[in-house]
Amino acid sequence: MASKTNEPPVSTDAVAPWHAEVPASVVDAGYRFRDVLTYSSTYLVFIAMIEVLTVHLVLSLPLNPAPIVVGLVTFAVYVGDRIADAADDEISSPERSAFVTRHRTLLSVLTAVTYGLAIALSLTGGPLALAITLLPGCFWILYASDWLPSLGSYFRRLKRVLIVNSTIVASAWAIAVVGLPIAFAGAPVTPLAAVVFVYFLVDTFVNTEIPNIRDVEADEAVGVSTLPVVFGVARTRQILYGLDLSLIAFVVLALSSGVLTTAAAAAMLVGLGYALVLAWFVGRNTVPGRLAIAGEAKHLVVFAVLVFTAGI
Amino acid sequence: MAVPLLFGSVAIGTSAAILAWRARPNPGATPLVWLLIGQSWWSTCIVFSLSTEAAPEAVFWTKVGWIGVMIVPVAWILFALEYTGRDAYLTRRNVALLSVVPALTVLLALTEEYHGLLYVREAGVTAYGFVLVEQGGIWYAVAAGYTYLLAVLGIVPILGLLSSGATAFRGQSAALIVGVVTPWATNVLYNLGAFPNVGIDPTPIAFAISGVAYLGAIDRFRMFGANPAPAWRARQFLFDHIHEGVVVVDGHDTIVDVNRAAAEILDLDVDRALGASGSDLLPLNEPFRTDGERELLTIGTGSASRSYDVGVSELTDRHGETLGYVFTLHDVTRYLQQRQRLKVLNRVLRHNIRTETNIIQGYAERTSGETAETITQRTERIVEISEKGRDAIDLFEDTVNDREGTSLVGLLEWSLRAAHDAYPAVEFELEYPDEDAAVSEGLSVVVDNLIENAAIHNDGEDRRVTVTAAVDDDRARIRVIDNGPGIDEYELDVLNSGTETPLRHASGLGLWLVKWGTEVIDGSVTFESNRSTGTVVTTTVPVR
Repeated sequence: MASKTNEPPVSTDAVAPWHAEVPASVVDAGYRFRDVLTYSSTYLVFIAMIEVLTVHLVLSLPLNPAPIVVGLVTFAVYVGDRIADAADDEISSPERSAFVTRHRTLLSVLTAVTYGLAIALSLTGGPLALAITLLPGCFWILYASDWLPSLGSYFRRLKRVLIVNSTIVASAWAIAVVGLPIAFAGAPVTPLAAVVFVYFLVDTFVNTEIPNIRDVEADEAVGVSTLPVVFGVARTRQILYGLDLSLIAFVVLALSSGVLTTAAAAAMLVGLGYALVLAWFVGRNTVPGRLAIAGEAKHLVVFAVLVFTAGI
Repeated sequence: MAVPLLFGSVAIGTSAAILAWRARPNPGATPLVWLLIGQSWWSTCIVFSLSTEAAPEAVFWTKVGWIGVMIVPVAWILFALEYTGRDAYLTRRNVALLSVVPALTVLLALTEEYHGLLYVREAGVTAYGFVLVEQGGIWYAVAAGYTYLLAVLGIVPILGLLSSGATAFRGQSAALIVGVVTPWATNVLYNLGAFPNVGIDPTPIAFAISGVAYLGAIDRFRMFGANPAPAWRARQFLFDHIHEGVVVVDGHDTIVDVNRAAAEILDLDVDRALGASGSDLLPLNEPFRTDGERELLTIGTGSASRSYDVGVSELTDRHGETLGYVFTLHDVTRYLQQRQRLKVLNRVLRHNIRTETNIIQGYAERTSGETAETITQRTERIVEISEKGRDAIDLFEDTVNDREGTSLVGLLEWSLRAAHDAYPAVEFELEYPDEDAAVSEGLSVVVDNLIENAAIHNDGEDRRVTVTAAVDDDRARIRVIDNGPGIDEYELDVLNSGTETPLRHASGLGLWLVKWGTEVIDGSVTFESNRSTGTVVTTTVPVR
C-alpha cells in the first residue's frame, strides 16, 4: 500500500459522459460514494485485506481474523494520517483536504474506534498478534505525528527524511500483512514467509514513492524529502525500474531454490510486470492520482492470478 | 460473559486513549492517555491470563498486569490536578514521589517468589479450564490502600466542578467520576469478597463502563474543547498580578498570604512575612475596622512617600464565623496630589483673580466713557468665569465629601430664587414633585447652570423657564424647559464627544459643568428641542 492517493473527482471530458442516460440523483450518489471511498482511503482497507488473504493463500494458513484486523488498522492509520496532514494536503489534494476537514470529528472518532476494535480483536491472536497490531500505530506516531519533535531538537518528523519515510511505511505494512496471519495461526516463520515479507516490503516501498511524483511541489513546500524531490522524476522512474527488476530477480531465485511455489511466483511476477508498466507511466501520465490507485489495485491482480493458478 | 466484556474494555479504552492522545496538549490529555493505557493493559493481561491453560503463563500475565494496575491511580491523580488547573503541583519531584509505591509494587509483583510480600500464585482451574490466580500479602493491602487514597484525592478537585455553572463542566465531571468510581468500587467489593464465584478480579471489566464514561466526557461534553483548567489558575493569577496590594490574615492576626504588589509596597520578603503578625506589618493608626470606613497608610517620607487607601474585608465560613481578614492597599498618591493641586487652583480662582479684577475695576471707575464701561463688563465676565471654574472644583470636592445629601425641593427652590434675583425679566415656574427626596449637593451646580443657561440666552419678549421635578423609585428626574432659541448643535456635539481641542470647543464652562456634574453624581442628562421653540433638558440622578 502506498501512503498517499488522491483521485480528482471531476471529469473534464468534452464528449457526453457515459452516464448521460442515468438519473442525476443516482449519478450524484455514485460520485459521493466514490469520493468517500477515495478521500477517506476506505478502498485501501479492501486492498489491504486482499493482501492478507494473498499471504494466507501463499503460506497455506487457515482463515483467521488477521484480514479484519489489518483492514481496521489500515482505516485507522490512513485516515488518521489524512487528518494530521489535512493542512499540508491543501496544496496537493485540495478536495481530499476539504473532505477531511469537513468530517474531521466523525473521522477522528471512527479511526479511534476502529483501532480500538483492531487491538481488542488482536487479543484473540495472543501477545504477538497484539504487538504486530500495535506496530503500525507506533510507526505512525514515529512517522507522522509531531510527538518526536516535541521531545527535542535532535528529532524531526521522520516523514521528512529521505528513504526513511517510505521504508517505515513499507516495513510497518509488510510486517502487519505477513506477520499477523502467521501470529494468529501460531505458525512458524519459514523461509517462504521471509520471501513473501521481502516481496511486500519492496513492493510497498515502490507504491509509496509513486504518489510522491504528484506531490513534489507540496512535499518541497513542507520540507519532506522524497525520491522525486531529491532525484527528479526521470531518475525516480529509473530507481523504481531498478527496484522492480531486483524484486523480479529475487522471486525467480526463490522459485528456482524451491522456496516459492510456481503459483505464488507466477502471481508475484505478473504483479511485478504490472508494476514495471506503472513505473513507465511515472511522470508521463496526466492524472498521477489514478496512477497511485492503479498501483494499489495491483494487489487485486496478484490475488486474482494466485486464485486462478492455485485453482489450476 | 467476563471475557467479551474484557475485550470491550480494551476496545473502548484504547479508542478513548487515541482520542485523548489527539487532544494533547490540552490540560489532562496526556495523563488521561496513560490512565487509559494502564487500564487497557490491565484488561489485556487478564485476557491473556484467561486465554492460557498453562498455570505459569497465567501467573506471568497476572504479574505483568500490575504495571497497568499501578499506572491507573498515578495517572488519575495527575489527570485530576492538571485538568482542574492545579498543574503547579505536577513537578518532576512530585510525580517521582507519587510513583515510588507503584514502582515498588510492580517490582515486588515481578519478584514475588523471593519474598511473598505480594504473592501471585495458581489457585486451581475452573470448570471452563481457566487457571485461577490468587493474589495477596501485606504489600497487596498497601498497594490497594494507596490506590484508593489517590482515587479519593483525585476525585476531590473534580467534585468541585459538579457545581459549576457551565453545563459542559458539570457533564465532564459527572462522567469522570462515574469513570473512576465504577472500577474502584468494583475493586473494593472484590477485595471485600463480594464476588466469590467470579474467579478473577472484575475491576478491568468495570473499565468497559469507565471507558464509555471517558469517551462520553471527551466527545459528548467536549472535555478537551471546553476545559476548566484556566479558572483555577485565573484566581491565583489575579491575586498575584492585581495592582492592589493584598494581605490575608487569619483570625489570630497571623499573615497567611501576601501578593506581589503588597510585598513591593511594604518592602517585604514574602517567605518571611508569612506567619508574621499582621498588625506589625501594617502600621495602621487605629485597630482595623470592617464597616466600610477606609484608612490612609503613608509609606516613606518626603516626595518619595506613597499613600495607600487601606480596605478591610472580613472572611467568614458558611456559618458566618470569622476566618480572617483581607487587607487591600490601593495606591491613592496621584489622587491626593491632584486634590492638592485643585485646592491651589481653587484658592487662585477664589481670591487672586477676584482681587486683581477688583483693582482693574477700581482703575476703570477713575475714568469714564465707553472704554471704562467695556473694561468693567469684561472684568465682571472674568469673575464669572473664575467662579464657574471654582464651581467645577467644588463640584468634585463636595461630591466626594457629600454623604448625607440634600433636599431636592429645597435645592430647586434655592436655585430658582437665586435665578429670579439675577434675571428679573424672566418668568420662572417650579412644578413640585409628589414627594421630596435626598439628592447629592452636586446637583445644585447642574441645576444652577441649566437655569442660568435657559435664562441668559433667551432674548425674546416673553421669556419663560419652567422647572419640573419627579421622583420615581430610586431616581429623581429634573426637567428644565425654556422657550429660548435652543442650544447650538455644535455645542452639543462638543459635549457629547467629551473632549475639546483648540479649534473645536464650547463657548463656556456652563454646559461642561452640567455634564460633569451629572457624571460625578452617577446621573445622566439629555437635551432635546422644545415643541415650539427652546430646549428641554432632562437630568436624572440617583436618590440617596
